[in-house]
Amino acid sequence: MSNRILPLELIDKAIGSPIWILMRGQTEITGILRGFDDYVNLVLDDAVEYSLDPRDKNQVLKKELKAEILLNGNHVAVLVPGSKGPEDSLASKS
Amino acid sequence: MSSESKDASTEEAPTNAEHKRSPADFLKAVLGRPVNVRLNTGTDYKGVLACLDGYMNIAMEQTEEYVDGQLKSKYGDCFIRGNNVLYISSQKR
Repeated sequence: MSNRILPLELIDKAIGSPIWILMRGQTEITGILRGFDDYVNLVLDDAVEYSLDPRDKNQVLKKELKAEILLNGNHVAVLVPGSKGPEDSLASKS
Repeated sequence: MSSESKDASTEEAPTNAEHKRSPADFLKAVLGRPVNVRLNTGTDYKGVLACLDGYMNIAMEQTEEYVDGQLKSKYGDCFIRGNNVLYISSQKR
């Protein structure tokens, strides 16, 4: 029996738990992963969006969407299963 | 798709089955409801989702356009080409 895990199996195991998504460009999104498809379009609950303030590029805007969202897989770069986002990352703790 | 393969796929995921909500399920649930569509540029479109397709091309009604959070204009009907869409967000119930 093979113990290799396909990338999308890893994401499937993350369904129901928090996930941190780095988008192409400067946006990051966190939320509870509800589902996804072959294009890695993602359905997220209680999503929070972190983006640069259009008026002041040194400020990060945190926007709680308080709703279910469908995220376009086109712009997804990196998925971090089990992480609640930038504030939860190892870099912010060190 | 054969009915056999469909059975296999429903059997294989009993662990997450009660939580699972695929993008297709989401789109079915959100049709005809008020939504917020965010584009790559950061512009928001709020309105009633009339219809959409696999490219995430979107037709909306009673649309309000927000640029940097400021209401810029309103459209009775509008079409958004799918490549611009970052996310579609629903308001829960």
